This record gives sequence, C-alpha cells and structure tokens, in this order.
Amino acid sequence: MEWTFWMAPGLLAVSFVTALLIFPLDEEQVRLRTALNLGGATLKLILVGVMAWGILTGHEFEARLSFVGELELVLRLDYLSLLFIVLSAILWFLTTVYAVGYLEQSPHRSRFFGFFSLCVTATMGIALAGNLVTFFVFYELLTVVTYPLVVHRGTGEALEGGRVYLLYTLTGGTVLLLGIAWLHSLTGPVEFVTGGQLADLAVERPATLRLIFLLIVGGLGVKAAIFPLHGWLPIAMVAPAPVSALLHAVAVVKAGAFGIVRVIFDVYGIEVADGLGLLAPLSLAAAVTILYGSVRALAQDDLKRLLAFSTVSQISYVALGVSLLGPVATAGGLVHLLHQGMMKVTLFFCAGILSETLGIHRVSEMRGVGRRMPLTMAAFTVAGFGMIGVPPVAGFISKWYLGLGALEAGQEWVVPLLALSGALNATYFLPIIGAAWFRSPEADWAEFDGPETDWMLLFPALATALLSLAAGVMAGLPFSPLWLTSFAVTEIHGP
Amino acid sequence: MNTLLLLTAIILPAVVAPLVFGASRPALAVRALAPWAASPALLLALSPLGFPSIELPWVVAGVHFELDLIGRVFLIVTAALWTAAGVYASGYMDREGWRRFLFFFLLTMAGNLGLPIAGDAVSFYFFFALMTFAGYGLIVHAGDQAARRAGRVYLVLAVIGEAFLLAGLVLAVDATGSILVGAIPAGVARSPDVGAITACLMVGFAIKAGAVPLHVWLPLAHPVAPTPASAVLSGSMIKGGLLGWLRFFPLGEATLPEWGVFVVAMGIVAAFFGVVVGLVQTDAKTVLAYSSISQMGLINIGVGIALTAPDSVVPAIGAIMLYATHHGLAKGALFLGVGVAEARTRGPTSRRLILFGLGLPALAIAGAPLTSGAIAKQELKQLTPLLPDPWPHLLDWLLPLSAIATTLLMVRFLVLTQRRLTTDAGHRLVPLVWIPWAALVTAVAVLFWILPYRMPVLTSGTPHLPGPDALAAEVLPILAGVAAFVAVVRLRRRWAPAWIAPHIVPGDILAPVERALARLPRPDLVVERLASGGITGGMSGQIARRWYRIYSESARYDPLIRLELRLTRWAAGIGLLLLVTASLLFLLAWGS
Repeated sequence: MEWTFWMAPGLLAVSFVTALLIFPLDEEQVRLRTALNLGGATLKLILVGVMAWGILTGHEFEARLSFVGELELVLRLDYLSLLFIVLSAILWFLTTVYAVGYLEQSPHRSRFFGFFSLCVTATMGIALAGNLVTFFVFYELLTVVTYPLVVHRGTGEALEGGRVYLLYTLTGGTVLLLGIAWLHSLTGPVEFVTGGQLADLAVERPATLRLIFLLIVGGLGVKAAIFPLHGWLPIAMVAPAPVSALLHAVAVVKAGAFGIVRVIFDVYGIEVADGLGLLAPLSLAAAVTILYGSVRALAQDDLKRLLAFSTVSQISYVALGVSLLGPVATAGGLVHLLHQGMMKVTLFFCAGILSETLGIHRVSEMRGVGRRMPLTMAAFTVAGFGMIGVPPVAGFISKWYLGLGALEAGQEWVVPLLALSGALNATYFLPIIGAAWFRSPEADWAEFDGPETDWMLLFPALATALLSLAAGVMAGLPFSPLWLTSFAVTEIHGP
Repeated sequence: MNTLLLLTAIILPAVVAPLVFGASRPALAVRALAPWAASPALLLALSPLGFPSIELPWVVAGVHFELDLIGRVFLIVTAALWTAAGVYASGYMDREGWRRFLFFFLLTMAGNLGLPIAGDAVSFYFFFALMTFAGYGLIVHAGDQAARRAGRVYLVLAVIGEAFLLAGLVLAVDATGSILVGAIPAGVARSPDVGAITACLMVGFAIKAGAVPLHVWLPLAHPVAPTPASAVLSGSMIKGGLLGWLRFFPLGEATLPEWGVFVVAMGIVAAFFGVVVGLVQTDAKTVLAYSSISQMGLINIGVGIALTAPDSVVPAIGAIMLYATHHGLAKGALFLGVGVAEARTRGPTSRRLILFGLGLPALAIAGAPLTSGAIAKQELKQLTPLLPDPWPHLLDWLLPLSAIATTLLMVRFLVLTQRRLTTDAGHRLVPLVWIPWAALVTAVAVLFWILPYRMPVLTSGTPHLPGPDALAAEVLPILAGVAAFVAVVRLRRRWAPAWIAPHIVPGDILAPVERALARLPRPDLVVERLASGGITGGMSGQIARRWYRIYSESARYDPLIRLELRLTRWAAGIGLLLLVTASLLFLLAWGS
C-alpha cells in the first residue's frame, strides 16, 4: 500500500501508542513518561507537517477500513481536517509541556497522561473522519476518554462535574446517534463530500431532513456549548488547568463546533442547508449564545468559570460564520476555530499559572498580579485583547471577516452583534487586565528570584500568546491560520 | 530614504516601549533616549521630500502607510506635541513609576503618530485602539481615587466608542469594497446605508474628540493625567477623533445637510457649554479641559459645514486643519505651562516670563490679532455662508459671542494659574521642562507668520495683517471678555450671589447619569440570578444540578451507574483502555 494510506492511521497510532506505553508506567518514572509524552507530541507535529505539505502539493491521504456490515471507517485528510489537525498538533505539544510542568507533583500521573494521549487520538480521529460513522465513533470515544481527565482530582466537586459532563455529552451523543442512524436509513452511509449528497432527498423529504438536522446539530451543540445546551461547560471547570485548556481550545468544544461545520458543508451542503431554511435558525442560536455567554461571564468572579462562559460565547462565532452564506463569512468562522483555540488556551494556561504559583482562583484576587508575574500577565493581556477583537491580535481577523462576510451575505444584523459582543468581552476582560497591572497588590506574595514561575508553565503560555499575535499580524503570509483557511474556503465555495 | 523615515517614525516608539523595562547598560541608554521617540516623526512631517508611502499586504488585512497632505498637517502637530511632551516628561516626572509611565507614553505615542500615516481603515482602527487603550495607562498613572475613577469613565466610553467604530468601519469598508482611506468617503457616499455609517463613525470618534454629550470623561481624565500626558491628550489625541471624521465621513462626496446642521448645532452647544462649565472650575487643568471641549465644538462647526456643502469641502477641510493645528499647539503649550507655573522659580523676572509664556497661547486661543487663533477663526467664519438659513446669520452673532466666552475662560485660567505661580513649593524648574514648553510657545507665536507661506492650501487668502475693521472685530471680543470677567469678579466680591459661581463638579452631566445608572439593576447580575434561580437554569443551572443529584443517588441501586463511577478508578481505566485497544486493533486487522 501507498505511504499515503498509512499517514492518517499513523497519526492516530502515534498518540495511541504513546497512551499504551504510558499507562503501565510507575508514578516515579517521570523522565521516561515525559520523554514519551514529548516524543509522541513531537512525532505528531512532524507527521502533521508532512501531511500538510502533502495535501498542499496535491497528495491525497485516505484510509478505508470496513467496519460493521456495509459501514466503513474512513480516515481522510481534506482542507477542513487540515485546519483541525494543525491546531491540535501545535496546541497539544504546548499543552503537553504545560501539563508535565503542572501535574508532575500530583498523584495518578500515568493515568492522566495516558488518557491525555487517548484524548488526542480521539480528536485526531474526529479531524480526519471521512464519513459520519467514523466521526461518531471518535466523537463518542472522546467523550469517554475525557471523563477521567475531568474528574482527575477525584474530589467530590470533580466527580460531580464529571457526572454533569457525562450526562450532557452522552445524552448529546445519543441524540446525535439517532440523527445519524435516521439519515443512514434514508441514504446509506454518509461520506463527507463538499456540497453534500442530500440534494435529491431535500426535494423529496425536506421535513425529515430538517428534523435530522435538528437531531444532529442538537447533539453536536452540546459539545459546542450552544445555548441552552452549554450547562456542562462551566461545571466541568473543576478539571486541572491543562485539561480545561484542552477542552476549550482543541478537544471537546472544538469537536462539537467542527462537527457542525462538517454537517453543514459536507453532509448537507451549504446550498441545501440554506434551501431547507436551516441556517437562519442556527445563526440565530449562535447569536443568542454569543451574547448569553458574555453576559454570564460578566458576573463571574471565579476566573476559570469566567473563561468558560467566554468560551461559550466565542465558540459560537464559528457556528455563526459557517451559517452565514458566502466565502468571507465562512473564512471568518473557520479561522476562528484556530484563533479562538490559540487565545483561549493562553488564557487557561495563565489561569493555571496563577492558581499554581500564587493560589489565585478569583478575579478579585488578581489586583497587582502584573507586578509579580509580568510575563504571565503579558500573555493574558495579549489573549484578552484578542478575545475583545483588538487588532493586531488574531481575534480581530476573525471578527473583521465575520463582519464583512455577514454584510456580503446581506445579514446586516451581525455587525451590531459583533460590536456589542466585543464591548461585552471588553467589559469583563479589561477590568481584570487593568486591576492586574494598575492596582496595588493586596496579598503578600513572596518575593521571587529568577523566573516568575516554572518555565514549563510559562513557555507554553508565552508561545501561544505570541502565536495569537503572529496569527493576526502576519495574517496575509503563507502558513498563517487565515491562509490555511483559504484552502478550505476555496474547497467549499469554489475559487 | 523617506520611506525608511516613514517606517522608523511609526515603528520606533512601539519598539522602544518594552525596552524601557530593561536594566542592562544598553537598556539604560534606550530609556534615556526614549522621550525623543517622536522626533523621527517630526522630521518626517517637516521634511520637504514629498509624500512617501509603504504597502505591506501581508500584515493583518493589508497595511498601507501613506503621508498625504491632511496626514502631514496632523502629523506636524502630533509629532511636535509628543516630542515636546516627551522631553518635558523626562524632566518633570518622578523617578518613581517613570518606567511604567514611559512605557504607556510610548505606546500611546505610537498609536497617535500612526493615525495620520494610516492609509487604510484597519491600520487606522489599530492605531486608534492602541492610542485609546495605552492612554488608559497615562490617565490612571497617579493611582489615586480620582485617577482610577477617571480611568474607569474613560474606559467605559472608550469601549463604547470602539464598538461603534468597528461597526462603522466594517460597514464603510463593505460599502467601498476597499480598505483604503482614499476610497472610503466615496464608497460611504454611494452606500444606501450612508446614514447608519455616518452615525456609527460619528459616535465612535466623537468620544475621543470630546463632543458634547460624550465629553464627560475628558474633564476627569485630562487633568488627572500627569501634565505632559495632559498636554498630548488635550492637544493631540483629541484630534485623533477629528482626523477619523475627516478620513471616513463622505466629505465632498455626499450632501448630508441634516447631519451637517446637527453637527454644527452640537458644535455651538459645546462651544458655549464648555465655557460655562469651565468658568466655575477651580483647577487650572480642568479649565483647560473644558476649553478643549469648547474649542473642539468650534472645529466641529467646520465639520458640519463640510458635511453640508460637498463643493466647498477643500476650504472647509483646510479651515478644520488650520484650527486643529492652532488649537493643538496652543493647548499643548498651555498644559505644559501649568507644570512650569507650578515649579519653584528664581524670581519675579522668571515669573513674569512664565506669565507671558502662558498669556501668549491663551491669547491665541481667544483669537487675538496677529495670532494663529485669529486666522483660524477668520477661516471658519468665511465658511458659514455655505450653511442653510438661518445658520449663517446665527453664526454671525454666535461666533463673536463665543470669542468673548473663550476670552473669559482664558482669563479664568490665567488667574487660577497665577495663584499657583506665587506659591513657592514644588520642584525646581529644570531646563528639560521649560525648554520644550518655551519651544511650543514659540511655535504658537510664529504660527501666524508662517502659516500663509508654509501652508498656502490651508488658508483661502493671505491674511497677513488685518485691516482696521478686522482688527476691531478681533480685539473687541477680547476686550469685552476681559471686561466681563472683571465685572463678574467685582460683582461677586460685593454681593457674592451663589448663582455667579455655582458649583459644577468636573464631568458635569456625568454625575446624574451615574446616579441614574446606579439605580438600575446590573443586567449581568439579573441574568446570573435568573440562570441560577431556575428560569433559564432549566437547561443549565438548577435543574441540571437536581438531575445529577437524582442520578448519583440512584447510583446506589443501579449497577450500571456504579460501574460508571468506577471509571474514575485506576483499574477501570485500564479495563476501558484494553477494550478500546482491542477493538481498534481488531478493526485495523480486519480492515486491511
């Protein structure tokens, strides 16, 4: 078989084998475990690099395996997958470094890192899935392997959070399965093909397709935290910081958003979805979520909870962008998959650093923390301004294209929405940033020599902050997120 | 060569900003030179080498830097003020907190200097945001209660402004199909949404420009900032909003008489409102802040005229720029002068010199003959016939009246400052402080003489020396203003009626607005209560909680749920893993 066959499964295998090797390790085998973790993450980066080069030079990566009956497991790299695997590979590498620094003193490390790697495996599978069944398999796998990470601390609160997480995601998964099964019963296996293959069915049975869309997107909407299905996300905040970072930036929430993107573009096709009148309600739901998340974030004092509500709000930019017709809005929505990932992971890294180093969990405790931890807060500031959408941070690019795309699609109402959302974001991020830099500290933090915290915590935060900045400043250059997105947009809307 | 200078002028302050925190020897050198960071921009603005431009299509959404005529005029004022204020700051500021001040000073400078050079909407928005948010650091620098409050009010309005700005610019760029500032006015004019775009841009920029009623942050923020920062806030940054209007309003492309008249009316209101509230202030810098509100009101009359009469947009923009140049330099000189007057001085001679140096820009602002203010007001007056009736007649009366009012305010300022001059406390007056101030005063003094030659585009004629009639028209309001001031002071001494000097706190209409807002429930807390109280919590909060309580209780009886709880344990994890592994391996083997 061709090497192109093995690349996609190989990408999954790297993380999977890492997990297998890590599980049996003793708690004390720190070096070996760290080497395996970082080795796996690095290898994955390289493989993703090769695949990115491959697809850009016209290679096709596809692996088909028969599954149950006529169903097949298909792993295939297209330009949408590319966005997701590039994001995952880079952020996973940095999160691994961060997690090693964050957790190396706590118990159950082998369990943690094992599931951590399984979580990557599932995410990669979601990214590369070439049909609905494959997508579903990995989507559910992700639910299951993330659970041990959420409850990792094992406290009552953590277990409760984990239970809510499972309750929501398993219910969502069931609804999703129902939708997928129904669709299969009508059409047979559903491949992901740009434009979808449901045009004929849409003429014959529009009502059924609408209902199926509701089931599928409703199921996916749980992980994508679309109001009112978002309830689990702020509760799952009990997870350790690297897990939260992952959940919000790459894995779970993104899996839901990515699924919605797939369903709209590659299952239904944007024209069919629009013809069935499915996009307007979705964009409305996204708009409500954007505002609701931000308004809830305003009242939060717990930093991670605030960030969780901010995610609820921000992730719906993706759904909003892809549910507005037109290439520019699509670009704005898709590029936010990457931009939101980089910025949110930075914020969670910083939140973790604050709690680990100074025991700060609340916004009200952050006064003057900029003096004690200038680099951490600099990273936080960059990401915060990015969330608000201030140029030249990446978030501005998303917003700008969303706004222009909405106007191109004749949806003027999105512009005031974006302006208002930016103002709300500013209303909860600026007081934090302002207090951190300009207020005098109230707590008596010990003086420090040398670096402000462990470099394994600081480096990932600084790296992602710089990435967020670079993604905005150099948006017009090759290999920027916007550039990567342009291929997917061309694939969807034509050149 | 000029392109290189252009790039240096923009980038230098932003690059130097983070370096000021260093402790190494080179960092010390950088810190010593950092206050001069605006000088390349000044060199660029004054260089006779044409109008350079740079295009960087790969940056953000495609960046165009371009120095056109409007940009050049604004850059002269901006760069001159920032250079003077920078040098002044290096002598004036305490060493305590100097590095942090310098950092925000340089970032704000970078934003402000970028505005005239920004050749596209995104760059303009970026520089505007940079100036706005970094400016917060200057306003709250003192760190006391007043500074924090001013910072809060500033930030709230700034965020509102940014939101309107984003909406306005997105709409404008979409209507134009281009981000270039040169193309946008025409694009906006063609758009069916011209009203909405104009409204968004008007509000977005009005906040920075201190237009009534969005001015409330200004009398709080301009005075609490350290004096060199006040000078650039009130002299130069305030013009950023004005420049935004000139760049993005459909001036010369569309006739918007309703908008034009509205802007004129609000300008007139501001011109008098600023004086009235300013007169009862007791702090010299607050008086100057209100004077800025009033003067910006006068400039906005020009903006309104440009919106009304597209055919005469060139002289209108000329008059606006002329007024902006004059006001920027004069107001900068006055603010810096407050710091000079507060310093400890050697004797009556230097005191007299300082008073003279304060009086000159004050006279210029009042529009005395042979000052830049006289030309500025004259140019503005020549435009008024372009307005629909009855505005020209009204303005024939109101403009001289406003000159009287302005004189009153300037006298009030001089009286307040003179009181400080006689107290012998404070820092020693060092050359780094008085030289940049004196340079600005000199610039104000010579502006009248060089303007017609250096900027022929800005002036309609060559108004070198006024004739007897014009002289009378310029002198009379000033005499009237001084007389009125003296009369009021006398009256007050005799009867001291309260209405002559009512107490209006800085921020005027802000206080009742804040009180009203405080009475309203906070929307986020209302939502929070609803969400946790069960109304929307049906989906998220309360009911979910109830659900998992039931769920966990049933775990005691339900073996399946007990199993799920065991997942948390190590053994279960391994078991799950093995299961997953086995199935995946099985599938792999089976499939290939």
